[in-house]
Amino acid sequence: MPLLSVQDLEVKFFTRRATVHAVRGTSFDLETGETLGIVGESGCGKSVSALAMLGILPKTGRVTGGRVLFGDQDLVGMSDAKLRKIRGKDIAMIFQDPMTSLNPVLKIGRQMTEVLTKHLPMDKQQATAEAIALLDRVGIPNAADRLGDYPHQFSGGMRQRVMIAMAIACRPKILIADEPTTALDVTIQAQILDLMKKLVVEEGMGLILITHDLGVVAGVCERTNVMYAGRFIETGPTRKLFERPRHPYTLGLLRSVPRLDAQRKEKLDPIGGSPPELTKLTEGCSFAPRCVYATEESRARTPELRPIEGNDHLVACWNPVPDADLPHAPTDRPAAQ
Amino acid sequence: MLAYVVRRLLLMFPILLGLSLLVFLFVRALPGGPAIALLGERANDQSIEQINEALGLDQPVHVQYGRYLKNVASGDLGASVRTRQPVTDELARRFPATVELSIAAMFFAILLGIPLGFIAAKRYGGILDNASLVASLIGVSIPVFFLALLLKYLFAVKLGWLPTIGRLSLTEQLDHPTNFYIVDAIVTGNWSALRDALEHLVLPAIALGTIPLAIVARITRAATLDVLSEDYVRTARAKGLDPRVVDRRHVLKNAMLPVVTVIGLQTGLLLTGAVLTETVFAWPGLGTLVLDAIRFRDYAVLQGGILFFAVVFVVVNLLVDISYAFLNPRIRYR
Amino acid sequence: MSITEAEAAQLSFERPSGLWADAWDRFKRNPAALVGIVLIVVFILAAIFAAQIAPFEPNEQAGPLATNPAGPGGEHLLGLDMQGRDVFTRILFGARLSLLVGLVSVSVGLALGLVLGSLAGYLGGRVDFAIMRVMDLMLSVPGLLLAIALVTVMGRGLISIMLAVGIVQVPTFARLLRGSILGQREADYVLAARSVGVPGRRVLLGHILPNSIAPVIVQATLAMATAIIEVAALSFVGLGPNDPRLPEWGKMLAENANRLQQSVHLVLFPGLAIVFSTLGINLIGDGLREAIDPKLKT
Repeated sequence: MPLLSVQDLEVKFFTRRATVHAVRGTSFDLETGETLGIVGESGCGKSVSALAMLGILPKTGRVTGGRVLFGDQDLVGMSDAKLRKIRGKDIAMIFQDPMTSLNPVLKIGRQMTEVLTKHLPMDKQQATAEAIALLDRVGIPNAADRLGDYPHQFSGGMRQRVMIAMAIACRPKILIADEPTTALDVTIQAQILDLMKKLVVEEGMGLILITHDLGVVAGVCERTNVMYAGRFIETGPTRKLFERPRHPYTLGLLRSVPRLDAQRKEKLDPIGGSPPELTKLTEGCSFAPRCVYATEESRARTPELRPIEGNDHLVACWNPVPDADLPHAPTDRPAAQ
Repeated sequence: MLAYVVRRLLLMFPILLGLSLLVFLFVRALPGGPAIALLGERANDQSIEQINEALGLDQPVHVQYGRYLKNVASGDLGASVRTRQPVTDELARRFPATVELSIAAMFFAILLGIPLGFIAAKRYGGILDNASLVASLIGVSIPVFFLALLLKYLFAVKLGWLPTIGRLSLTEQLDHPTNFYIVDAIVTGNWSALRDALEHLVLPAIALGTIPLAIVARITRAATLDVLSEDYVRTARAKGLDPRVVDRRHVLKNAMLPVVTVIGLQTGLLLTGAVLTETVFAWPGLGTLVLDAIRFRDYAVLQGGILFFAVVFVVVNLLVDISYAFLNPRIRYR
Repeated sequence: MSITEAEAAQLSFERPSGLWADAWDRFKRNPAALVGIVLIVVFILAAIFAAQIAPFEPNEQAGPLATNPAGPGGEHLLGLDMQGRDVFTRILFGARLSLLVGLVSVSVGLALGLVLGSLAGYLGGRVDFAIMRVMDLMLSVPGLLLAIALVTVMGRGLISIMLAVGIVQVPTFARLLRGSILGQREADYVLAARSVGVPGRRVLLGHILPNSIAPVIVQATLAMATAIIEVAALSFVGLGPNDPRLPEWGKMLAENANRLQQSVHLVLFPGLAIVFSTLGINLIGDGLREAIDPKLKT
């Protein structure tokens, strides 16, 4: 039995103007200790999926279908009181912007200890000691002295370390990281990713890493799901996916990443057009309007994920990218030389 | 923190200096000149000369101002034409009444306004939210003296539930060690007087507190709406904290920052409102003192009263800023 | 190659007209603002056509002199006052007075505030410092007290009352405009205008002011309500217009404040007139604020 099993998850937002179908039936499993990446453009529903799993969608959003099985419990439809015992304890989350994700008027120590005393049988003293140990572990110097500091006294990278320390405080089984490095400087990004990788291994946590940055996924995740307009359109082992992307969208994503080893004259190849509005979705592949491989069938019927090249690589496409058009993936290069 | 307070205190001086200059010019601009203004129209030539000399009106203006400053600094604001009492004594006697009224009004506004605004924000777009918006708009549109009159008519005149004027019934005997009647009644253990004083306080406090209530509720609502969509609130929820803890520790604590500022800004309005409310309920505070001074052309009292009001206003704003710094760590350490 | 001033001025850095169309759209859909419009239209019509609508003259003795004048009913819609004058008539003419007072004093406050605020904001340095310290000082005296002091000095003529109430509002406008200009001065479109050689005065008048105007409009609307209430308050404390014949709402109310028990209608109706007119203005002001900047929704 997988640690976490998401099945046909659907999320809709009900605003006065329209209903937004943000997540349209996504499914995936996460095993203990597995690292899974979810990649996509902003607005494709990747963050919403995470919030939905934890039951902390904004007020206008609602899970309208599917199940989120954690062990034998379904998190969808669970009472908030029960869910709160899981949130922050068994499943913890890190957010994108460490500048705004910490409460500016509470001391760091307080924000750390409140999660410890809530979920674990600790008194204030024990929680404080544990908070120091945690901050120390995520690499914050003089941890004991910094408990009394406020978030604005930390740099962005240090704040994200605090967020991570808070997330792993109760030894969660699953860590969800939503764009954890997007708001950080490049040099800091690498440090934070290394830290997360290290902690995931040490704690044996399952990691769901949500990002738009293919480089981040390549460095951290064993498996990758590519999301487009509320659906997964390709999933597979990260290495395989990068070497042989079969969905035109995945290929497009890879091609729009600047490469150091590219020829000077070689232009980047961005994907033309923009994602569809999630308020007016019709039958057919959502990517078809932007896709050079689109066929009659793409426009007529919505493709489902189906295996291609073995059981672990799935793609939802009527006309997958032919071998001839595949690039040499960056991970491929050292081996080729 | 201490440095911040000291700096704010130092910043207060130029403002106080400017205020004194303003009031100084005010007296000199009064119709008939300061001597007539300060002594009254029936003053005889001898006393006019006396006061002219005392004020040094024959001296250049900057010398006059210097002398005036010295007088003010030593607590000499002149004497009332009407009562012959030193103005400072009058102010000291009336001040507690106004403070008592203002504090009661602010309590009313804050204790009701913050929960109301918070609940409205939590139920954004609901009936309660819209009702509170309309109510608060009506609240800021009612002139305080009209509201005071309405309350007085309804609850005192028509229903007879509460007394119409003053701070205490004539039948009550109360010693006044502090001149804060509520405090006086409590320290002397005079429970019937306490009850009576509270009854007298209710209507004026509600009248005076209604506009601040409306404003506090509106700002609390707006601030709460802002904070509710902040990332750190999502973080708090992701930690699995109880909704009540999230609301109190993470939402309210942050939403209070703008509310405190606004409460500070309300003190000016409160003082102005006090002038009007005190008139309606014949409340023997600074407001009625100033208005009587206008009515009887008692300019020494008017001058002192305005200066005093302004100083209180400045000091209260200072206190608000300091408490804001206490609430907001980003300011404290700057 | 040089760009002439005319060419530079042609470059459009202003917000697209869509912004105002959007704002109007939002305004129309706001029921509270529409209620405000209705109230204000009634108020303005009453002011304009007071002479035509009113059944009597404002100072005409239309009924008997009485210590307990007749309340609403019959020939006199809102009753009579102690001098036997028709209250409804006087309230209609009072609307005229309040509208005048509101318009004039806000114009005074707005004009002075705009000039001082733009000077401070645009010139900066010592001018800014001097102007803003005076404004701070004015703000450190509660509004009504400042008005009281000014009226005491300038006398109780209608003009000086309007001036006093207007002057009290100067700092608010000055601050608002200065803040807005400081914000805009470094804005990209202003830098762009400067970089193509648009002269300073033109930048201020052609680009900065138009973009600062939205919050000023909102503030001016709300200030109308404040002005009307403030004049009424001055009347209430005995510093209203000294002409006893003027049907000023605050004065009508004040004159009868201690006769609540006998003739509550003499307090109630002028009071309600004040409430409805200021409520109408506040509703519109609020609606405007939301319409112009939906983010500021309070």
